[in-house]
Amino acid sequence: MKKTEKVYTTTEGGDNVSPKKIVVLGVGNILLSDEGIGVHVANELIQMKFPPEVTVVEGGTDGFRLLNIITEADRLIVIDAVRGHASPGSIYRFDIDEVRNVPSGFKTSVHQIGILEVIDLSVLIGKRPSTTVIGIEPKSLEMSMELSPEIRDKVPKIIELVIEEIHRPV
Amino acid sequence: MAKKITIDPVTRIEGHLKIEVEIENGKVKNAWSSGTMARGFEALLTGKDPRDASYVTSRFCGVCYSVHQLASSRALDAAFGAKVPWGGNLIRNLVMGAEYIYDHPLHFYQLSALDYIDIMAIADYKGNDKDLLAVKDKIVSLVKAKDTYPLTPRYEPDEFTVKDPDIVISAVSHYLKALKMHAKARNMGAIWGGRTPHYQNIVVGGVTSFPDINQVARFRSMLDEQAKFISEIYIPDVLAFGTGPLWPLAQMGIGGGHHNYMSYGDFQLDKDGKKLLFPAGVMKGLNPADIKIDTVIPERITESVKYAWYKENKPVHPYNGEQIFNLDKKNAYSFVKAPRYEGTAMEVGPLARMIIAKNSDILALVEKGAKPGAVARHAARAIETKMVVDACYHWLDQLQTEMTKPGFKIHDTEHWDPPSSGMGAGFSEPPRGALGHWIRIRDKKIENYQAVVPSTWNASPRCDNGVRGQYEESLIGAPVPDPKNPVNVVRIIRSFDPCLACAIHVIDPQDNQIRKFIIE
Repeated sequence: MKKTEKVYTTTEGGDNVSPKKIVVLGVGNILLSDEGIGVHVANELIQMKFPPEVTVVEGGTDGFRLLNIITEADRLIVIDAVRGHASPGSIYRFDIDEVRNVPSGFKTSVHQIGILEVIDLSVLIGKRPSTTVIGIEPKSLEMSMELSPEIRDKVPKIIELVIEEIHRPV
Repeated sequence: MAKKITIDPVTRIEGHLKIEVEIENGKVKNAWSSGTMARGFEALLTGKDPRDASYVTSRFCGVCYSVHQLASSRALDAAFGAKVPWGGNLIRNLVMGAEYIYDHPLHFYQLSALDYIDIMAIADYKGNDKDLLAVKDKIVSLVKAKDTYPLTPRYEPDEFTVKDPDIVISAVSHYLKALKMHAKARNMGAIWGGRTPHYQNIVVGGVTSFPDINQVARFRSMLDEQAKFISEIYIPDVLAFGTGPLWPLAQMGIGGGHHNYMSYGDFQLDKDGKKLLFPAGVMKGLNPADIKIDTVIPERITESVKYAWYKENKPVHPYNGEQIFNLDKKNAYSFVKAPRYEGTAMEVGPLARMIIAKNSDILALVEKGAKPGAVARHAARAIETKMVVDACYHWLDQLQTEMTKPGFKIHDTEHWDPPSSGMGAGFSEPPRGALGHWIRIRDKKIENYQAVVPSTWNASPRCDNGVRGQYEESLIGAPVPDPKNPVNVVRIIRSFDPCLACAIHVIDPQDNQIRKFIIE
């Protein structure tokens, strides 16, 4: 490299600031139809091109073991099924800290060590990434490797929202 | 009068489990273990290409994916007649080895330790150690912010709880250290598996990615770091707790159960698979002075559904198992079937493996007065983690040598196409215990597939003969002086490292306020 060549970075903070690492994490079980929405979306996103500071991870049903991925992130975007008893295909968007203020608290899933607990734990060994959840109300949790049609139709919209989220300044 | 209490769900485990106990005179008189999530993913495999099995089964469980991939590939190896080359076996060993290095310390620190220490004692630490003071500040500030989950124990400290601030603070600093080690350990398997979670590399006939010398070097340096943590922190902690504050619990042998043990055996140490790191065997009724171990004969395994929510059926071998639910069945109380060996309930897992292996460290503890039970289970886990670490070095050296030989192979490509028909069983010993997969192939498609997972053996309900499952039996006699504080019950159950996470992951908020976040 010639000395005069300028090194470009994607940050606005000057040459000495490394870009914030953004991790997009799709979770869920692909054997339970819409429960796997996060995985299906992540698999689509993996094929798209993003700036180097963005990593897309298909996290399956992992809980605790995503700690390595979570602790590396400055900013985390989780895509998962959320059961809020709204109409199927409804899309939720919330930052974890917003939900922590909900009076009865927010416990994840039947997975007793769930993804949100793991994010909480990450604070103990360093930092907790600023976390946004894009949640999708499932229609079916039946055993099947296919999404139900209503949910499948939402995939492009979810991808659009995730991309918006990636570019949102925090 | 007997008083019945229910713990639902048992927390800090992987999955969803309900335990009911009947307490009389301060002791557990009767117990019921209930897996409250339906599973039956096997049905998804019917009619599929058999080669899909190792991929689909790796999604059975959110926690133990590589172990299903391995057992499934072994079932296919048997059905296809594939012979895995030594190089492939070495890599399979290393993937599974990484699983132990990851799993066991996590179980001890993150899932179990809080049953034995009073975390709040940390505030009374008076020492000057800078690092420990930082830990104290961190935890105390969380306590002040009323934000201690998941550190806060669910139950009150009892007479066996460690309350000494110095011991507690050092335990907590190791808890944090262990968390950091887990985050790193996860990447070890990914070196071979191509990604994490849900590795891609284990298939029928061997493994898919050719190792290079950089991978070997990377694995070795990560192993060095883990090995140091395991020998310098994990093992001494388990020993210090087990022979110190928890010694009375060890002597009481709480959580012993049936004392029947089974291991399928695993980790091939030589090319023809004759020598295993963990030997196979079954043993009924432990008599430490005279340990008699029999060969495992898989044909003697049956699953009973009498007390499980499945269509009524006689106990059948897994080759003939089916998943037809009947939620109205009288007396049924679990989604877990009841596997039995020759009609007998068996404990599987670390303690079973170490007893079947006649491991000298475990037998020495028994000699000193520890009875096999909850505390011994933690000890067995630590002992075998060290064995696996040592073996991993050995496998790495061997792999490095093998790789330089001409004709080095990792896969039996001659047996990639499915046979028109066939049957095969695949066995392995993941951290939680004996895992078996059974496949029947017809017209090159899967005709029937069944998996019997370790937690099914341990967490099973009663069988046709009315014999309690191992969790249930292990609770009998456990001291519960205060029914509001059944800490011994969860100590016992968690000592098995229950994993019933073979299903759902959905985020399930406890109220409808989540709806205000709908954006579309």
